[in-house]
Order: sequence, then C-alpha cells, then structure tokens
Amino acid sequence: MSLVNAELFKVRTTSLWWIMGIILIPLYAASVLINWAQASAGAPPADAGVSDSQSATIEAALEPINVATNLYTSGQYMGILVVLLLSAIIVTSEFFHLTATTTFLVTPRREAVILAKFGAAVIIGVIVWLFTTILNLIVVPLILNSLDVGGSQLGEPAVWRAIGLNALAFVLWAILGVGAGVLIRSQIAATLILGIVYVVGTSVISLIFYLLSEYVAEWINNLQVIIPTTASALMISGTDLPGSPPRWVGAVVLIGYAAVLGFFGTWLTKRRDIS
Amino acid sequence: MTAPGTDEIVVDRLTKQYKKLRAVDDLSFRVRSGRVTGFLGPNGAGKTTTLRMLLGLVTPTAGTATFGNQRYVDIKDPLREVGAVLEASSAHRGRTGRNHLRMICKAAGLPDTRADEVLELVGLTPAASRKFKGYSLGMKQRLGIAAAMLGNPRVLILDEPANGLDPEGIRWMRDLLKSLAAEGRTVLVSSHLLGEMQLLADDVVIVAAGKLIRQGPVDEVLGAMSGGASVRVRTPQAEALTAALSELNATVTATQDGVLLVHGAEAAAVGHAAFKAGVELHELSAERGDLEQVFLQLTAGKAGIR
Ligand SMILES: Nc1ncnc2c1ncn2[C@@H]1O[C@H](COP(=O)(O)OP(=O)(O)OP(=O)(O)O)[C@@H](O)[C@H]1O
Ligand SMILES: [Mg+2]
Repeated sequence: MSLVNAELFKVRTTSLWWIMGIILIPLYAASVLINWAQASAGAPPADAGVSDSQSATIEAALEPINVATNLYTSGQYMGILVVLLLSAIIVTSEFFHLTATTTFLVTPRREAVILAKFGAAVIIGVIVWLFTTILNLIVVPLILNSLDVGGSQLGEPAVWRAIGLNALAFVLWAILGVGAGVLIRSQIAATLILGIVYVVGTSVISLIFYLLSEYVAEWINNLQVIIPTTASALMISGTDLPGSPPRWVGAVVLIGYAAVLGFFGTWLTKRRDIS
Repeated sequence: MTAPGTDEIVVDRLTKQYKKLRAVDDLSFRVRSGRVTGFLGPNGAGKTTTLRMLLGLVTPTAGTATFGNQRYVDIKDPLREVGAVLEASSAHRGRTGRNHLRMICKAAGLPDTRADEVLELVGLTPAASRKFKGYSLGMKQRLGIAAAMLGNPRVLILDEPANGLDPEGIRWMRDLLKSLAAEGRTVLVSSHLLGEMQLLADDVVIVAAGKLIRQGPVDEVLGAMSGGASVRVRTPQAEALTAALSELNATVTATQDGVLLVHGAEAAAVGHAAFKAGVELHELSAERGDLEQVFLQLTAGKAGIR
C-alpha cells in the first residue's frame, strides 16, 4: 500500500495531473452538450435512406432509458482517454525522466512496482469516473426534464447499472494503459499510439471490418467487438441494442486486453536491464 | 542489525555479455567495511555495468554480485542496508528536490522527516523546494548522495560522484566519505579522477576491458609498481650530490634541471649525506608513488574504448 501511495505522490508532485485536469474539463462539457444535442435531435424521417436495421438501432437508442444512460455516462469517451494516457505516462515517465533507476533501487522487486502502478492507475481512473459521474448526476436531471422524456430516470436500475459499468470501463482502461506503457516504453510513442488508436482507430478498424464483411464474409462483422473501444461502448450501453453481441462480451474483451497487457508487461519489466 | 557479513561486497566470477561485447569478464573482487575502496578503470571498462549488476538493475550473464551472500533483490529493506548514487540525473525534472526525497521515503517506508535531515547533511536545504531542472550538476550530485543516505545505510556505492563538483564540493565529499568509512561503513566509489582517489581511497580495484587488473591497498599497489618510495631533491650541485649518494647504495635518476629522484633511501638519509658533503639543497621531499602513473602503466594497451 505504501508503494501505491508513493506512485500517487509521484503523480501529485508533477504538473501532469493539473494539465490533464485542464484538458478534461472542457472535453467533458463538450461531451455533455453533444449527448444533449443527439437526444433532442430525434429520429430521422422514415425516407431518409437508412436501412431497416440501422433505423431500428436508432429507434432503440432514442428510447428514454437509453437516452438517460447515455447522458448519465457523459464524459466517458474523453475521460477514459485522459485516464488511458495518464496510466501509460505513469510508466513511461520513469524511463523518459530516467527515474526508473531510483524507483527500482528503492523497490528491487519490480513486479511490486508495476502492481503499485496498476493500483495507482485504477485509483486515478475511479477518481475521474467519480468526477464525471457526480457532475452528471447534477446536470443530467435538468437536461432530461427539458427533453420531456419522463423525469430524471434515476429510479431505473438500468441507469445505475450503466453508471457502474462506466466505472468498470474506467478501471479496465486504466489497467490497459499501464500495460501498454510497459510495452511501449517510449513516452512519445506510447501517448501517440494510444491516442491515435483510441480516437481514430475505431473508425479505421470499423471501416476495415465493414469492407471485410462486404467482400469476404458477413460474420466477420460480429468480430468488431474485439476492438477495445467498441467493446467498451458495448459494455456500458444501457440495453442490448439490436444487431450487437450481448453486453458481457464487451466486458470480457476489455478484461482480456487488460489482463494480457498487464501480465506481459510485468513479465517484460522483470526481465529487462535498467541502464 | 543484520546478519554478520552483509556489509562486505562480494563480486564472484561476474560476467555480462552484451550481444558481441563482454562488458564484464569473469570479474571477482571483495570490498571490505570500514574503508573507502576506489573502483578504477578506463572508459568502457565495465565499472557502471558491474555496479548495476550489484544493485539488481542489470542481470548478470554469469556469476554473482552480493552483499555478504545476499543479492540486493533479496534484501528486505534495501535502502536501510545499501545506498547508491548511480547517475546525477535520475530525478524527475519537474519535481522539487524535497519531493523527490519524500517520494523515496514513502516507497521505502521511511518517515518524511528523513528528507529534510539528509538535505541538511548535503547542504541542499536552501534549494529544497526548487525544481530539479533548475539544479546545477553539483546540486544534482548532492541530491543523489542525499537520496543514498536516506536509509542511513551501512554500505554506500557511488558511480563517479565527483562529476560536476567544484573543488570545495570534492573536498566536502572526500571528508564525508572518509568519515562514513571511519564509522565502519563500506564505501565503494568509482572514479576517473586518480589524484582524488589517491587522497580518498584506502583500497583500489582496478579493471580494464571488463577484467580485474589489480586489487589491494593503495600503498601496496603503488609500491609494487613503482618499486618502493622515492625521494625528490633539487640542488644546484647535482654531480656532487650524486657522488655523495653513491655511498648510500641508492639508485639516483636525474630528471630535469637539478632535480634528482632517489630510490632506496629515506629522505633523512639523503639530507644527511648532502649535509656531510656540503652540498646545497633547494628542495627535499619524500615522494609517494603516483596513482595516475601506475594506473596508466597497468591499463596500457587495454584502455581502448571497445
Ligand atoms: N545496455 C548496453 N548494451 C550494450 N552495450 C553496453 C550496454 N551498457 C554498457 N555497454 C557497453 O559495456 C561496456 C562497459 O560499459 P560501462 O558503462 O560499464 O563502462 P564504465 O567503466 O562505467 O565506463 P565510464 O568510465 O566511461 O563510465 C562499454 O563498452 C559499453 O559500451
Ligand atoms: Mg560509468
């Protein structure tokens, strides 16, 4: 526990945390506004040229309960990005700033250090989740009242389940970030790769999957869930949307990534020379 | 207290192979407590690699490096047993000196107050709340020494600690290390500054190209190489003095204008011979062997960067 404390102290005593905070706040505000705009835009007209399954998806997404879960998990996308990068930097900065020598002299059992970093990253993830969730609980009831979808929806268990799963997403992405940081030791490479994969990766890979499913086989499309961002989105979606695998699949995929990266990263760190 | 012997450093047949290069090659030596041991060798001799293996940062290809018979990784509270200063820049640029030390305290389970105590010890208190990036090289070295002293360890390992210190800083460090050794601690210092080592070290371990060249007390190593002590005399009557000294059965070498180096005689005997022969002396001094010369002799031909 003292090692986790030391890791959190490391984050606290550099400018990293407030830089990330300054990035997070406007992004959170933007995502609330976007979710609000989406919810109030309503369904497209019947002849807008969307396929049956697409319009079924959109209709389901516009049910009050799904609008509510979407709004109550506002900030997930950007919040997780910040947690992901911060978690990776917790590791890479040790090599970037050459502090790894000091760290491993103090704690020569390296798996203990990596474990502490996982712990610290999870705590940071939970803090960011708490921050966005508390703001959501204040702001979203007002939005929902203005949308006239039948009150705050806070009585619905589905909403609370979505909020809980949102926390799980933050935690899993934090673990993923630490694992990725261990694998990609270069600070610049790690933040760039994670940022790009997280932000544009989903659409690029979705496109690849789309082409594969069009020209190779339809079933390939179901594998989209192996993309971590898709898995994460699936996991927190309020009710099972038509055309998607069940929600637990998303959770399993994310847990799988976090576990594999975590174990492999720890194993590598134990083997490597620190020089 | 720890089990007896953990403050003795034992390097046994230690080897590190990097792809093609054998950075450390079957190296064995021991470092005793209560003395300052100088770890000397030309650039690329494998000093840093040896120290990093000793501290569990680099995995040996073969052999062991232990404290007593315990590896660093197996020591329960390593900071309370061993303090190390490896490179001057191993702190985060954006963190203050005090926070750097507090961070170590937290991870090692030491009280935060130790941070201020060691800052005082190394004279960094005025810069304690400044960020590391604003530190001079000498201040960084001092912070490194402060970090090593946090756990009040019985073994100290320093890799070129004199780097970047000003003359006063070097004198300060020499006094500090000598007093720590006098308290019975083990002090192992690597360095290139041979003049400084001659003043500081009790024992030396000389390596080149990853191999042990010589190990032992400084005086012994110097004596064995330079064939005993010598006496330096300066006189306007060099020939007369040479004649007078021939009775002493000593070898006399003329170096430069009027300076004679006398081997095999005490300074007092040389002075007495000159007095009897009525030879005027301008200088008379006992010369200790010169570590730099001995070092260059010992490592000649092996010093090339590999
Ligand atoms: N990680 C590494 N990979 C490959 N070669 C290395 C590595 N670390 C050190 N070496 C090589 O091992 C040799 C010994 O290096 P080391 O740093 O131990 O020497 P040193 O005695 O500390 O030298 P100096 O006095 O210059 O500090 C050098 O030739 C160096 O190039
Ligand atoms: Mg070196």
